Amino acid sequence: MESLLFYAFACMAIVSALLLVNIRNTARALFLLFIVLFAMAGLYLFALADFIAITQILVYVGGVLILLIFAFMLSNKELLTDLQSASKRFISLPSWQALVLAFAFLGVMIYSYISWSHHMPQWITQSEAKGSIILSTDNNIKALGFKFMTQYVLPFEIISVFLMLALIGAAHVSRKGDNT
Amino acid sequence: MADFIVHIIVPVAIFAFIAGFTLFAVYAERKIAGFVQDRLGPMETGKYGLMQTLADILKLLQKEFITPSAADKILFAVAPIVIFVAVFIGFSVIPWAPDFIPANTNTGLFFIMAIVAIDAIGILMAGWGSNNKYSLLGSIRAIAQMVSYELPVGLSLIAAVMITQTLNLNDIAYLQGIASPEQIYFMGFWNVTDIGGIFAWHIFQAPHLLIVYAIFFIASLAECNRAPFDIPEAESELIGGFHTEYGGIKFAFLFLAEYAMMFLVAILGVVIFLGGWNSPLPNVGSLRLADWTTGLGWGIVWTLLKSLTIVGIQMWIRWTLPRFRADQLMTLCWKILIPLAFVCLAISGLWRILVML
Repeated sequence: MESLLFYAFACMAIVSALLLVNIRNTARALFLLFIVLFAMAGLYLFALADFIAITQILVYVGGVLILLIFAFMLSNKELLTDLQSASKRFISLPSWQALVLAFAFLGVMIYSYISWSHHMPQWITQSEAKGSIILSTDNNIKALGFKFMTQYVLPFEIISVFLMLALIGAAHVSRKGDNT
Repeated sequence: MADFIVHIIVPVAIFAFIAGFTLFAVYAERKIAGFVQDRLGPMETGKYGLMQTLADILKLLQKEFITPSAADKILFAVAPIVIFVAVFIGFSVIPWAPDFIPANTNTGLFFIMAIVAIDAIGILMAGWGSNNKYSLLGSIRAIAQMVSYELPVGLSLIAAVMITQTLNLNDIAYLQGIASPEQIYFMGFWNVTDIGGIFAWHIFQAPHLLIVYAIFFIASLAECNRAPFDIPEAESELIGGFHTEYGGIKFAFLFLAEYAMMFLVAILGVVIFLGGWNSPLPNVGSLRLADWTTGLGWGIVWTLLKSLTIVGIQMWIRWTLPRFRADQLMTLCWKILIPLAFVCLAISGLWRILVML
């Protein structure tokens, strides 16, 4: 049952991602992105990362995606037609960088499949033997909170200062009035 | 296999409840509107007009599917489903009685806050898919409002969570009654762990939580696009906002989602601030009222009674207050509610450290 759900989410993510890059209609593409992000959140759940899964929905779907749709709705129509009139072929290569990236990633995938398809990497078997693994019944969010407030408090604070900087910057840029 | 059947029965039961609640709530809404405006409300269909909403839903079900020719067909058809499902899955983490909860997760509260964001996407889909200026304007207004008011909702919930120290809604409800695993203090000085009742509710555990609940209630009205925050639907300016083009069963689903959202925010406020399924009656000496009125059946009764009272207040407000202007709406959110919520957040932290220890 669980593996069935996993493959359903994985298929949903892959198929809608493929559709997303091929579709002509930008509005539909943005809503397909929603399905991709949602399916990814489902996949995170299978990695027992429930906090990450919900954060994914909250930040990407609730924040970034709505912002993208707004930007799309408020942008110039000629600009959009310019974007849409790319190549009409099924497989189009606008630049060689994409090809390099794709093949590099494929290489990593093939390498990991060859080396780990029959036996787990050593660090996984070691931690399994020690018993230091996360169970689905563990209170992950509590452990995460303790880690953030003790071991990782400095990175956590630096991130919050960065977010504050971005907010102040956005408020400054969007402010109208005198430019002196 | 038994597990599998439970996984089907529970959503069906919740759906049946939402449908029944919507029928009842629409009738109540029209009766309350009638009372506030000094008229009778629906009286023709059935005794006291009781069959009116049933007749309405039958009419909606029979209607033809109409899709505007210029609409984006797929988005137009999918939007009501997305909106309804977003609200519907929010009910999966709501506790109804002690340990009587569809999904007892450690991230329940966080989950609901994320789910509300999906609702916003559905409204944008409906507005864009209809290809109608009124719809688009309505959905843009709705999103601006929902994104703004998510902040006071989130901040007020965080202020409460700092006191509870858990995101699990079942545990949050446990912390407000006689079955609490921790000591409860009324306003921080009077130990009411054995007394329970209304004194153990979160809004009375710390004085600022009363203000936090008021912020949550006001902001949640805006989250479900209810008057006085109904500029996304503003009948007099926008015909009906994002659902202008919808008819028949699609409109029925949008309507169902709106009332389900009302109930969801009401029950969420009840679980977090108003004691959840705990009895409002305290133990007085040998009169163990709280002990007698806590349990599975009583829990469901209390949850329903409290939530329906809150829904009733939402309706009362809708027919009493006039609609806000868009700039007044944003002023209220950004200049009053959010600073107040931040102050309450700081007080919560201090309260937890200095008073609750």
